[in-house]
Amino acid sequence: MIARLAFAGLIAGLVAAPSAGCVGIPDRGKQPALATHVDDWRDEVIYQVLVDRFADGDINNDWNVRAGALARFQGGDWKGLEDHLDYLQTLGVTTLWISPIVKNVETDADVDSYHGYWAQDLTQLNPHFGDIASLRSLVATAHDRGMKVVLDIVTNHMGQVFYYDMNLNGHPDIYIGGTGGSSPITRVSEYDPDWDPRGVQASTSLGNAGRAPLIFINEPAINRVPPPGILGTARAYHGFGRILDYDDEKQRMLGDFPGGLKDVATELPEVRATMVDAYTRWVELLDLDGFRIDTVKHVEHEFWQYFAKGVRTRLAAQNKNRFLMFGEAFDGNDSLLGSYTAPGELDSVFYFSQHFQVFREVFQMAHDPKQQKGTSQIKTLWETRSKAYSPTPQELGIGVPPNQALVNFLDNHDVSRFLFEAQNDLPALRNALTLLFTEDGIPCLYYGTEQELAGGNDPANREVLWNTKFATTGDTFRHLAKLTRLRKQYSALRRGVTKVVYATDHVADEGDAGVFAFERADGSNYALVVQNTNARHKSTTADTSSMALSAGMAGKILIDVLDPTQANYQVAMDGTLRITLDPQSAKILIPSDQMH
Amino acid sequence: MKTQFITSLAALTLTAVASAQEPLPAPETSVPTGSFEFGSYGRVRIASDLRGGWGRTANVVAYGTRIDEDSYAELELRREDKWKGDIKTKVVTTLALFSPFFHFTGQINQQLAVRNLYAQGTIGKLTLWGGSRMYRGDDVYLLNWWPLDNQNTIGGGAGYQFNADTTLAAHVGMQRLENSYQSQQLPVVAPFGTGTVNVQKLDRPRIIETLKLTHLIRNGRLFKDPRAGFKFVVYGEGHQIGAGIYQDTLTGQDRGLPQDYGFLFGAQLGIWTGERDTHVNLFVRHARGLAAYDPLAAPLTFANDRTTMGSTETLIALGGNWEKDAFGLMGGAYLRFFRDGDVSPTTTQKYDEGTVVLRPELFIGEHWGVAGEASFQARRFAYPDPDRNSQPLVASMWRFGLMPYFSPAGRGSFKRPQFRLIYAATVRNNGAKELYAKEDVFNQRDVEHFLGLNVEWWFNSSSYL
Repeated sequence: MIARLAFAGLIAGLVAAPSAGCVGIPDRGKQPALATHVDDWRDEVIYQVLVDRFADGDINNDWNVRAGALARFQGGDWKGLEDHLDYLQTLGVTTLWISPIVKNVETDADVDSYHGYWAQDLTQLNPHFGDIASLRSLVATAHDRGMKVVLDIVTNHMGQVFYYDMNLNGHPDIYIGGTGGSSPITRVSEYDPDWDPRGVQASTSLGNAGRAPLIFINEPAINRVPPPGILGTARAYHGFGRILDYDDEKQRMLGDFPGGLKDVATELPEVRATMVDAYTRWVELLDLDGFRIDTVKHVEHEFWQYFAKGVRTRLAAQNKNRFLMFGEAFDGNDSLLGSYTAPGELDSVFYFSQHFQVFREVFQMAHDPKQQKGTSQIKTLWETRSKAYSPTPQELGIGVPPNQALVNFLDNHDVSRFLFEAQNDLPALRNALTLLFTEDGIPCLYYGTEQELAGGNDPANREVLWNTKFATTGDTFRHLAKLTRLRKQYSALRRGVTKVVYATDHVADEGDAGVFAFERADGSNYALVVQNTNARHKSTTADTSSMALSAGMAGKILIDVLDPTQANYQVAMDGTLRITLDPQSAKILIPSDQMH
Repeated sequence: MKTQFITSLAALTLTAVASAQEPLPAPETSVPTGSFEFGSYGRVRIASDLRGGWGRTANVVAYGTRIDEDSYAELELRREDKWKGDIKTKVVTTLALFSPFFHFTGQINQQLAVRNLYAQGTIGKLTLWGGSRMYRGDDVYLLNWWPLDNQNTIGGGAGYQFNADTTLAAHVGMQRLENSYQSQQLPVVAPFGTGTVNVQKLDRPRIIETLKLTHLIRNGRLFKDPRAGFKFVVYGEGHQIGAGIYQDTLTGQDRGLPQDYGFLFGAQLGIWTGERDTHVNLFVRHARGLAAYDPLAAPLTFANDRTTMGSTETLIALGGNWEKDAFGLMGGAYLRFFRDGDVSPTTTQKYDEGTVVLRPELFIGEHWGVAGEASFQARRFAYPDPDRNSQPLVASMWRFGLMPYFSPAGRGSFKRPQFRLIYAATVRNNGAKELYAKEDVFNQRDVEHFLGLNVEWWFNSSSYL
């Protein structure tokens, strides 16, 4: 009897062993075939994800997580993002912009590289966020859902991988001297010294000793080790120290980025080739759909011409077309912003001038009439768009002129959140979002806006999203979902030509204070967006005269598709329309014969 | 070492139980007859990599071949007594010495461990023991591995011998390893005076229960040779660990670890011919949850609820020896499938692995011999190979060795001591090299050499019969 039982156990074991199966890489983790996934980037809704803060899908990569300390790792990863694509699709997001993926210097001055902008090795993934299979799975799953993935990249600088040996003693020093009384207190850091037009200088007790050597640091515990290849050599860096004056073009182009981020000598042919190869390789490995490019105004135009051409040519040869490259130049100057969309350069840039002049000064300041600007400022800004930004699509680019493909945004990880500056004025936020999703260009939403996050400056504006439990019932979430749905339904809101039909300087008690209206026409498809940006009273689309619409609209019935009751308004036979709006409200009007 | 077909039987010697019908006599002072015993297992080696360096072990699997294994020794002190009637006891203390030794490093800091410290008593068919103990069954010698059961706990157990061939043994043990999974001590302000005192913040020992049924078929019922037989074993383990609170030293915040559990079942079929040390053992085992992790190792990765839910280990192993005239052949092999509880399908903690090794021997006279060895081992990770990024990383190696030896105790693969001269060449694939940091020469070299002297012994040890 016992022998039989033993045999039965043995057989059960033998059956169990093969059933365990062999390990492998799941199909979603394998290298994809490249394909073009985008028709027209204006149809997209971009959602900026700071991966460390979005969702923690796998606790096993939670190394050095300090829950609650926003300057430290929090544990988010690519798996977490993949797990919550339903949430984003409910919101109406179509494109994910994910924070940098490459291996970073782990930490510096008690702040971690959770954001991903302190690159150490452009050829390796950051293990805090997963592995290549999990990243491929994210991209493949997104593509299956019709979503696209844009990667954040940095070419201007690397992380703090070396120090300037200013006193030639062979180790990095931070010197603080002076009394603050008879002598000023001075602070000199060999990690991040101030700009010096001669290049950072070394000196000894006997005087100047010439250019300070750049000494690569070897701290494996925090992955502060020399980058591979040419980026691990001193000649790949400018070595002028930290930018002090952003208006000084030489500093802007050659200086280190604050925080000791070392400025790369992007004029060197080997460096340029390295950048093209390193980042295009990730597209090839992952089937990405675009690059968001950091700090473009700190890199010379010739680099962008080389980089853009190199990337586009290499990808086009692999059937990857309409690959979006848009740049971040933290600047309100349209001429400067537009210069990066010149022929041969980028497809688009962030519309920073609009961020400052419209979303900050018109919408965010609704609570303060002394600071709020009139909507005529929007009209004036938009009128410069066709001149400042290139009207010609880039060769092998996205097929849309840069001046119609600007990336619009309310806020991002580098500025305080909209609600912080707006003092939690939720109607102001929703009104601004209405403009973001109905205006010309590509809307870009910073993660957490839908959850009414209101953090101040970095890192307070980089909250952990999972604390919101990914609720989809909040008023702002539902407002956004409705906007993205309308944008998808009505092509005029995506691709229509814009014509401002009402704007005003008035911001106080005037009857039209804060009113702004613009038409969008995509062939026969038409939409009229009317907004009241003031927070204190109702306003009407009339001052000395009523708002006049384009020819052909006379007598039309317009339905407010934003209104749950779908109120309708008839355009007068003279083509004018007089509408009164509640404070901080908007209407999206569609001709009744075009209603879906 | 010689397999332990009758390990538990020896520990559970049968004697008749005294009748309880007559009135008990007055208590008497029992004077035992017994002896102090000394036993030992050990191996010491020196080796060169033929490049001017120390000969390193190069295995890529959990249970690789032992031809290049490092030095290790056990010193066992044992007291055995026979009391009145059928009562016997023994007290066992085993000190283990881990490499490197003083003459290699010049450091007076020998690593020692107490691997046995227990007492055992037998009365009639019943045996009881308690203490700290290596508690294990049969091994695969060439892999230095006990595939079915190998417990290292502090606890106690009981065995009951139904008859000469059937034994049931049970044990409960406990251990709390000094790692952040099971234990955390924190300094706090002393309640009196100045300074600090330590408090045990995280305190969650693992409790392990084992149950083992062994049955022998022998005495010629199936074999003509009366010394031959079969051995059947069915075996199970239960593992539990309680919930606990630890302080996250990065944030100072208290965090919880949930309770966890696991179980394991397995079986063994052994055949021995009774001639010299010829035998074959087949093992199968399947474990889930916490039991998928060796009690001396903490889990490295977890399910998102911080349990080991989803972890599994399944293995099948074979070990044996054959000797005839001047020839011998030892062998060992296994396949093991390990899966962690990580939600990610790709992780270095999901892998398949295995080893196959053959060691033919030629006995030259009564005291000399030459052994050859050929082996292959591989581990296939559910993790992308950096060089073939859509393929799993596979680390594998072939190893060929030659081992002339001197055997003072006579002819036989399991005769000890054995004085050996060993040469082994290990041919490693790229995957094996990628397991090492690029700064390590093992990341750079395709072939590793091992030329060394090795001596191995065992005698009179209760752990190596």
